[in-house]
Amino acid sequence: MSLRRENLPLEGLGLPHPLSKREIEKGFETLIGENRLFGAELNPDIIKKEGEKRKFLVSRLPSRKKLLSRWERIFRDLISPACLFERASTKIQDFEHRENMLLVGKDRIIYDTQIARGSDVVGEMTLFFLAERDRNLGLLAYLRGRRNRIVYIDHIRLSQQSSGYASSLFRYYETLFHDLGFHQFRLSASLSVGKYYWAKEGFDCLDREEFRRMKESLRDYVKERGLPVEEIDINRLTHAYDIALFRKDLKVSAYCNAEGYYSLKKDEEYREEKLFPLGKAYLLSAKPWDGYKIIYTNTPRRTGLLYSPGYLSHRPRAGHPENHKRLGKLIEAIRKDDLQGSLVLLEPFLPDMRSLEKVHSAGYLDEFRNNVRTGKKTFATVDCSISEGSFDVALLAAGGVMAGVDAVMNGRVDNIFCAVRPPGHHAGRRSAMGFCFLNNIAVGACYARDVYGVKKIFILDWDVHHGNGTQEIFEEDPLTYFCSIHEHPTFSFPGTGRRMEKGKGEGYGFTLNLPVKPHTADREFLDLFEREVIPEIDRFRPDLIMVSAGFDAHKDDPIADLELTERSFVHMTRRICEMADTYCKGRIVSVLEGGYNGSSLTSSAIAHIKTLQGRSEPCTSEEG
Amino acid sequence: MYVGRRMTRKVIAMSPNDTVRDANRVLQENRIHHLPVVEGGELVGIVSDTDVRKWVLKEEKINEGGTIYRRTGLVDEIMTRDVITMSPEDTIEDALLILHKKRFGALPVVEGRTLVGIITKADILAAFVDTLRIEGAGGVRIEVILPRDISRLLRLIRKLEEMRIEIRSLVLSPFQGEFVAFLRIGTIDVAKVKSGLRDSGFTVPALKDFLG
Repeated sequence: MSLRRENLPLEGLGLPHPLSKREIEKGFETLIGENRLFGAELNPDIIKKEGEKRKFLVSRLPSRKKLLSRWERIFRDLISPACLFERASTKIQDFEHRENMLLVGKDRIIYDTQIARGSDVVGEMTLFFLAERDRNLGLLAYLRGRRNRIVYIDHIRLSQQSSGYASSLFRYYETLFHDLGFHQFRLSASLSVGKYYWAKEGFDCLDREEFRRMKESLRDYVKERGLPVEEIDINRLTHAYDIALFRKDLKVSAYCNAEGYYSLKKDEEYREEKLFPLGKAYLLSAKPWDGYKIIYTNTPRRTGLLYSPGYLSHRPRAGHPENHKRLGKLIEAIRKDDLQGSLVLLEPFLPDMRSLEKVHSAGYLDEFRNNVRTGKKTFATVDCSISEGSFDVALLAAGGVMAGVDAVMNGRVDNIFCAVRPPGHHAGRRSAMGFCFLNNIAVGACYARDVYGVKKIFILDWDVHHGNGTQEIFEEDPLTYFCSIHEHPTFSFPGTGRRMEKGKGEGYGFTLNLPVKPHTADREFLDLFEREVIPEIDRFRPDLIMVSAGFDAHKDDPIADLELTERSFVHMTRRICEMADTYCKGRIVSVLEGGYNGSSLTSSAIAHIKTLQGRSEPCTSEEG
Repeated sequence: MYVGRRMTRKVIAMSPNDTVRDANRVLQENRIHHLPVVEGGELVGIVSDTDVRKWVLKEEKINEGGTIYRRTGLVDEIMTRDVITMSPEDTIEDALLILHKKRFGALPVVEGRTLVGIITKADILAAFVDTLRIEGAGGVRIEVILPRDISRLLRLIRKLEEMRIEIRSLVLSPFQGEFVAFLRIGTIDVAKVKSGLRDSGFTVPALKDFLG
């Protein structure tokens, strides 16, 4: 057995050791002996077999040298050809692969098969294995051999009754390719039938425009029928998956024809009335669409990154530390760091005022809007410098955390990092300060409670400043634990967050402030974290963990006086991941707060994200 | 700042004919330490929790003989009659200095002989917290050492104005032959303020030398 599984998924990215060239060669020989190995040429004019969609031609086998080098490039010699072939064609349920073969092309290796059940051929499938250069990675990474290794299910056809087999097969492949260190597993399939099923399995529209049209027509349908669905509920749909799960509580009629197709309108052909939840009924009746799914296979956890270029439109005055460049640099670095390909990218939505009013008073929101609309340069304090777009961007930041909560709660990702700005944790119900306008994390927490019925939420705030706004909002709430670890208030903004502040009324004991003295470094900081924060999470047993992740406690950050390195952020992230696994199915929504030195923000946030993904060696810089 | 503005107006007072046991209960229930004693609206004395404690200990000593007899003592027996009082027109500094020098905990405030309030150490501390604006979010303290030369203070204030920094409070104290200015400023970007001041020639001590 040549596929070694020495690394349990949670232990991170470590890969099995490469095999010797001799073993690889032996694997090739076995396949040649079985007449299963061929060369492949891409040639759209000559098509293998009759009428199939395959655009490659079976040809003469390339030289031994080429075989070995191509195999090395794509599989990094982690598995022998014979073993891969055997693994790929494993029998699942009663389904077997027949007439299967492995083809070695110039840039790809192809696995092609028919799928049979007993004596019947019920479908066929083609897999492409590629090692692509990611243009985001940059030349240096390319020269070092860093490539995105991707598996495509290029073509799959199965009789309709076999969708149970398809999903078992995909799950099996997902694990297999994950172990082989592939970065992505993409499936493309035109979804004319089973649209609801595929959407539920995570397939999305290949074309974003298509999805937008889908949302529009859903909106029209809701309006036409006068259904009790809020505009905002439709606005926040960002994926076909969201539609599949949409409004399970609201049943509507769909009409079935003799062949099992559905329509939302009753007519001669579509007669048989059935009741379904709104989203399901809509998808069952939708027009065919091209679907794709990326299964992120190279990290133990599926981590989301929420970002919108819109966040760059909040432009404080020149020289302001909380400028758009800090976030721009971080996103650019994520793009270049081989990270983007392994993250589920998500976008925010614009929230309605009602969900913001759960946290902020209507008067305050109006005042903020008016200050921005009338072209004021600052709002409330000199620190809160504003520009034309500030109000909308602040809304989008709050909506970002809401979208992050959506993604985590409906299972599209295990955890998520919301790269939003402006930050939020200093903003109180009626006050802006310290670069913050709307309390993004508080809005997200209230949203999780209202929409998903999350009972207990633990908010950990490791920004170097005390999260006074979040504390004020939740200090009387025993179900939202607020824990902030920050530089001591005598030395640092905003001058609150002493240990004696423990919550009020029913919320007494559900606020924990851990001030640390200036120049505290990793060891002392983490000792405190282990001694005080972890036992509190254990005691509280949260249903969701949220993090106000500021990275300004880093030693290179100019704004404050702590001496942390990336290691602290990695350690804390790893520990809360463990806590989240124990108590809340791994659910973590992490929200960017401060961090004003471009490079330390970037390295710390990337280390944080990689740890959220469950990688074992998330630090890239020397000190980390 | 006048005593009248910071004193506690709702005073819990006793009559000389109340029992010591009552006085003790009132002290405990209200978590206070001093009870002015009033007869017909006029102040006649004051009882502190120390007076009550002393009395209890003395009674225990008498009872050591083994009797279970308990005397019902009256406030009149234990109160201090020679009370130092303040007037609402006195200043906080007057009160502060008396409390400090005489090591008292509280001073009744009278108009003529009528009790109108009480000023305690807690009231003075509250006045300090408010004056220095220590409580509440949005401010952070910095310290600047200045020579005994008022023009430097002016320059400091001008420099902060130039940087558009809100000064929330400012205290100037003597410090090793110089002055130290304790400022609370309303900005998150303290580092920039400090480096700006240092660049303009001001002495801003490092945090490890922070005066507290």
